[in-house]
Amino acid sequence: MNRGDGDTDRRRRFGSLCESLRPDLLRFAWWLGRDRGLAEDVVQESMLRAWKSFDSLTDEGKAKSWLLTIVRREFARTFEKKRLEAADVDALVAAESDLLSAPADERVAEMRNAIFRLDEEYREPLVLQVLMGYSTQEIADMMGMQQGAVLTRLFRARARLRQALGFAAETAT
Amino acid sequence: MITCLEFRRRVGAEPFASDAEIEAHRRECAACARHQDELRSMDGLIRRALVVELPVTTMSAKALTAAAAVSAAPLASRRRLFAIAASLVAGVAVGLVLLVSAPRASIAREVFDHVMHEHGAMATTAPLPPAELAEVLGPDGVRLRSGVGDVTYAARCHFDGHVVPHLVVRTPEGPVAVLMLRHREIGKPMRIEDQGYEGVVLPAPKGSIAIVGKEMPDLDGVAKKVFDAVDWGG
Repeated sequence: MNRGDGDTDRRRRFGSLCESLRPDLLRFAWWLGRDRGLAEDVVQESMLRAWKSFDSLTDEGKAKSWLLTIVRREFARTFEKKRLEAADVDALVAAESDLLSAPADERVAEMRNAIFRLDEEYREPLVLQVLMGYSTQEIADMMGMQQGAVLTRLFRARARLRQALGFAAETAT
Repeated sequence: MITCLEFRRRVGAEPFASDAEIEAHRRECAACARHQDELRSMDGLIRRALVVELPVTTMSAKALTAAAAVSAAPLASRRRLFAIAASLVAGVAVGLVLLVSAPRASIAREVFDHVMHEHGAMATTAPLPPAELAEVLGPDGVRLRSGVGDVTYAARCHFDGHVVPHLVVRTPEGPVAVLMLRHREIGKPMRIEDQGYEGVVLPAPKGSIAIVGKEMPDLDGVAKKVFDAVDWGG
C-alpha cells in the first residue's frame, strides 16, 4: 500500500468511526455542559484533536471511550479557557427548554429535567453508565477515580432522582 | 448473606447487578426484590431521558478530517480539499434527511441499545419462579411455553414509548435476550450485529419480537425455537 492509499484508508476509518459515534459524543458533551452550542464546539474541536492523534488509537474497538475521554478533556479545557462561570441552572433550563420538553411522554420529560438539574459529579457518571453502557470500573478509569467513589456517586444520583420524582426516600447513603 | 442496607446500596449504584448474593437476597426479601425491579424500570426511564436528539448543525466528521488536512496541505490543493469537505457535508445532509424520513427503521438499533444497556441481565443464571414470569408477561396476554430454556430475567421495560416484556432465556445454546414488541409492526425480519452480539427482529402475530444472543453460531435456529415457544394469546 502506498502512502496515498494509507492516508485514504486512515481518513476513511476515522470518518466512519466519527460518523457512527458523533451522536453519542454530542449527547455526552451536552449532558456535561447543558448547552448545545458549547457541546457542538467541544465535539468539533475534539474531532480535530482526535484526527491529529488518530495513530495513537491502537485498538479501534476502544474508539468510543478514547473519543469520550478526548471530549471530557476538551470540555474541561474549554471551560477553563473561556473562564465560564457556573451558570444559573434556571437560565440553562430556559435556554434548553425545547430539548427538555421534547419527549412526548411526560415522565421522560420529567426525568430529563431532573437529570439536567443534577450536580455534574452525579450527572456525568450516570450518563457514562446508563447512556454509554460503561461499567463502574471503566467509568472510574475514565474519570480518574476509585471505583468505590463512582459507586457512591451513582447511588446518590439515583437517590436524588427518586426524590425529585417523588419515590420513597433511600435509607442507605 | 448481605443485609437489606447493603443490597440497596449495591443495586442503587448498579440496578442490574446480579451475583449469588444479590440473587439470594432477592429470594429472601420481597421488598428488596421489588426495590431492585423498580430501579431497573427507572433506569429505562433514565435512558430514554438521556437520549436527547440534538440537531446536527456543524460539520460532519468526514468533512472535519478533510478540513484538518487543510492546514497541512499546500495552498493549491486547499480549494480541492474544501470542495471535498463541502461535498461530504452535503452527502451527510442527504443521509440525515433519509434517516429522518424513515425513523422506524431504527428498531434494530433501539433493540441493541436496550440489550446493551441491560447487558447485566444476560449474566443472570437463577431460574425465575413461574409466577414472576407470569406477572411480567400477563399484561401483554402472552405466555412462554416450557422447554425452550430457563427464564432467568424478566422485567417490564420502557422501550420506544411503551412498556414491554424483556426476558433472558437460557437456551442450551446460550442465553438470549427476548423483547416482545406488541406495539411495533414490521414488514420483514431485521438483523442486528454489533460488538459480538447478534440478533433478529421478527414479525409476530402481535407486533414483533426481538431475540439477541452473543457469539451464537446458530442464532436463527435458537430464534425459531424461542419464537415457536411464545403463545401470543387469542
